[in-house]
Amino acid sequence: MSTAAWDKAAPWVVGGISVACVIAAWEIAGVAELPVTTVLPPPSQFMAMVIESDFRIGLGSQSATLWESLTATFGRVFGGMLLAFVAAIITGAAISLSRFTTWCISPFLYLLAPIAPIAWIPTAIVVFGINNATAIFIVFMGVYFILTIGTLAEIRRVPAEYGTVAGNLGASRWQQWLFVVMPAILPGVFTLLRTNFIAAWMAVLVAEMVGLRDGLGAIIMMGRNLFNNELIMFGMLVIGVSGFIVDRSLALIGNRVLWWRV
Amino acid sequence: MEVVSESHESVFRLDNLTVNFPGQSGPVPSPLQGLNLDIRANEITTILGASGCGKSTLLRTLGGFVLPEDTGGVLYKKQFLTGPTTDIVMIFQENNLYPWLTVKGNVGFGLRFRKNAPKDLNKSVADMLSNVGLADAARAYPHQLSGGMRQRTAIARALITRPQVLLLDEPFSALDISLKRRMHSLIHKLQDETDISMVMVTHDVEEAITVGDRVLVLGGNPAGVLVDADARGPEMRDRYSKEYLNLQKEIEEVIF
Repeated sequence: MSTAAWDKAAPWVVGGISVACVIAAWEIAGVAELPVTTVLPPPSQFMAMVIESDFRIGLGSQSATLWESLTATFGRVFGGMLLAFVAAIITGAAISLSRFTTWCISPFLYLLAPIAPIAWIPTAIVVFGINNATAIFIVFMGVYFILTIGTLAEIRRVPAEYGTVAGNLGASRWQQWLFVVMPAILPGVFTLLRTNFIAAWMAVLVAEMVGLRDGLGAIIMMGRNLFNNELIMFGMLVIGVSGFIVDRSLALIGNRVLWWRV
Repeated sequence: MEVVSESHESVFRLDNLTVNFPGQSGPVPSPLQGLNLDIRANEITTILGASGCGKSTLLRTLGGFVLPEDTGGVLYKKQFLTGPTTDIVMIFQENNLYPWLTVKGNVGFGLRFRKNAPKDLNKSVADMLSNVGLADAARAYPHQLSGGMRQRTAIARALITRPQVLLLDEPFSALDISLKRRMHSLIHKLQDETDISMVMVTHDVEEAITVGDRVLVLGGNPAGVLVDADARGPEMRDRYSKEYLNLQKEIEEVIF
């Protein structure tokens, strides 16, 4: 293998070996019946349980397939993130184009940003009830403020000459925003969105654990209620793998589609 | 050296031009205090001067990017400039191409805002690209271009909108000597073809003489025109001619 090929493959090879070693040690602990494996059953145990139940989780009418849980959680995360992304861009535009809007919006932005998304759960349940809107709202609140503050920082980073050149070539203020500022900030805002995916992911899982009856977070709660450690471990594995895949996919989109930096 | 005194139509008339910058404890005066000057149309005027003499401020004022005190100003088409206009396009030292657009996208960028833009935008962009020798680089992105190619793209982006005046702020200062000379030839070619008025600020005496039809040297505080020389003709393009060397000596004696 050439040096360049190895440099590319090394993180995956070494990372894969590292994970394999931990799983092997975990399985050995299971075979040796160490007490810790009662709480942390090894993959061979919890995967066997899920395969046996044909990837259907839960009891009776409240049971759902793994696919249904995944789509429910992802729908909430991406719904909330998309809304937060659009709202952050619109807020960024409004603030950067008008000082009056800045004065109106800024206090709310900086007052509400420090509130953890979980703190909104009781209010959201009262307002929206126990449904998807609650989860989407929690994700939105977890991402929107940080993304808006980040969007404003990205807007400030856009070289002033970009706007000057566009204005000199005949672009109005709105056209400058649409054709210059927007494309200039998109890669940075997308990176922020990716960074905030973890926050959104955690927010929706918490919402699913404390309120909603489906989704990946609900799997964990179901495991707790049934004293089923295999189910808890399986839920944690799916959450970890799903989060990893989405993060890598967002990184790929960022690198391939929104590749430029200003 | 012949001092220009013949009468030409002016593109800019500086009438008691005074520029002050805003400061924390009141306005900070620039070297431009009550400057009077005519800049003629359809020729290349190069402006030289020591650092801090006000030449870049002057250029930005001509572009309407810096507004002077209301005791005077810049007359363009017999009216005081009150801000940037699409008639006067400036090319900055940092060429500021948009990194997310290809060369073709950058060159055609300004056309989308023009009401009187040509119907076949693709053809206009293709013609302009071949005019500046970038036809083969149409699909390249700015980070894939050399310094000279980037500046040619910036020039093409400015010229395609057919401005009346092109302002150039030390546009070739980052280029090596051979590239610089190729860009000078391009500037002459484009000026011959379009008859556009150009004002270029530079700190390079050779560049000022070989590119300019008229060379102005700014200096003093408040700034005044120390040299106003005609640099037209093939002898001024020849770096070893007597005329070129005489003008170079005259300018260098004033500046250094």
